[in-house]
Amino acid sequence: MGGGTILPRKWDITDIGLEEPAKKLTPQKIEQIVNGVLEKEGVARIKTYVNTCIHCGLCAVACHHYLSNDCDPRFAPVGKVKNTLWEMLKHKGKMSPEFMKQAAEISYTECNVCMRCSMYCPFGIDIAYMISVVRRMCHLCGLVPQYLQDTVNSHAVTMNQMWVKQDEWIDTLQWQEEEAQAEVPSVRIPLDKEGADVMYSVIGPEPKFLAQLIGYMAILMRVAGIDWTMPSFDGWDNSDMAMYSGDWEIMGRVKKAHFEAAMRLRCKKIVMGECGHAFRSVYDRGNRWLGWQMHPIPIVHAIQFYAELLRSGRIKIVRKIKEPATLHDPCNLMRGRGLMDDARYVLKAMCEDFREMYPNREHNYCCNAGGDVINCGPPWKKKRVESNRVKAEQIAATGAKIVFTPCHNCHSGIEDIINYYHLPCHNYFILEKLIECIEIPEELKA
Amino acid sequence: MPVVEYKGKKFEVDEDGFLAGGIDDWCPEWVDYVKEQEGIKELTADHWKCIHFLQDYYKKHGIAPMVRVFSKVTGFKLKKIYELFPSGPGKGACKMAGLPKPTGCV
Repeated sequence: MGGGTILPRKWDITDIGLEEPAKKLTPQKIEQIVNGVLEKEGVARIKTYVNTCIHCGLCAVACHHYLSNDCDPRFAPVGKVKNTLWEMLKHKGKMSPEFMKQAAEISYTECNVCMRCSMYCPFGIDIAYMISVVRRMCHLCGLVPQYLQDTVNSHAVTMNQMWVKQDEWIDTLQWQEEEAQAEVPSVRIPLDKEGADVMYSVIGPEPKFLAQLIGYMAILMRVAGIDWTMPSFDGWDNSDMAMYSGDWEIMGRVKKAHFEAAMRLRCKKIVMGECGHAFRSVYDRGNRWLGWQMHPIPIVHAIQFYAELLRSGRIKIVRKIKEPATLHDPCNLMRGRGLMDDARYVLKAMCEDFREMYPNREHNYCCNAGGDVINCGPPWKKKRVESNRVKAEQIAATGAKIVFTPCHNCHSGIEDIINYYHLPCHNYFILEKLIECIEIPEELKA
Repeated sequence: MPVVEYKGKKFEVDEDGFLAGGIDDWCPEWVDYVKEQEGIKELTADHWKCIHFLQDYYKKHGIAPMVRVFSKVTGFKLKKIYELFPSGPGKGACKMAGLPKPTGCV
């Protein structure tokens, strides 16, 4: 029936997305999938990673799951690799369905692929990559948490993660244009403007629930005098949950639609809203799957865009935030792409009392929501917030009333942590506060 | 799944506090329970208008509406929706109406 050690579980959680497919799996099918993925990804590389590891434990103390679970070794990155890939190599892929179900729980809900451990490994072993390989196997076995799979299904059908239809998308943009015009009457959200300097792209939750963010960006674009546009067609959503579920075929299709939207409109560059994983999908994973070393057209993240507008004087800060504020450094923006100085440049311009949390910048602890973990949905919430006690302690120690979270996953995850641990603060996207701090010239006002 | 007891009723909830059985298990007492959880001072006719709209939409489409549709049909501006439901249309209002937690980065 296949091998692999089954461990006692700390949380007894049932997820239909793992339970039902596991019943249909056979050891033969698992063997075929596991060995197939190992071969495609390069079994020599994975074996080298596994054999190079000297079990020094530096990755363990780098991991918020390990630290928050009272240093239980099974939550150490090395433990997670031991309980997945090592066993698979040892048993030559002959694993039981029960083992694969456990591998899915470990790879989807006990690791955020935040890369902190990879940074602390003295040999530079890319543990986050190895966990992604396990997810790829689980995806091919059909073992994906239900809520996460729903977002991937949505990507496959609509190219966006929240089942938004084209007419709803256009209607939402026009509505937000009108809303923004109540403050600045000359605001436009130009759709499909060919040759615009900037194509602005967002992630599904913005039109679905957080539409005000699009209205704020429209005001910012008007004040800064940017020649911009948004596509009315598929490719407007820059997010990519398929990257995390292991469905790399869908990941590639979604990324292609995003790049091609900008190319079709012949825009000079893409500016992406405040999202972290979406950014990783254009500079690291999606682009490479499509054969691009880097994104095929210039892309900047909102943080870089704000910093650029401030440096060039296109927007001016006239009101500063008085309450103490801190920044949560999202892994995909800081550790992955080095935007920490730009973020601090913007926030120090906006805040009178900006405080660092410790550790910070590329050393910051993960939000424990990104990397797909929050997308696994309600069944896993308690485990998720309890496995990030260190983040709560880190935020509390700053004494800040405002926590800036310039990433959608970080935003929802930190909000859950603030509520669960009753921290006396609120978290915001930078844009929500930036729009209150900038000068809106008199001649533009309603 | 955890079970909460409120005013003599028992509700099975998921870990985000959404009604596990969905709108089939929904009853007015659930609204009172969520009201306390969300720190809403007083329930008004405006809250009920939102709840009924969300339920009708969900029964028809099997998904929570875009906030645009929510605003258009109820006639409430986004700001007003946030005043009514401080944790927002996706988390607060959907929870009260007995809809499941929306999927995605929320």
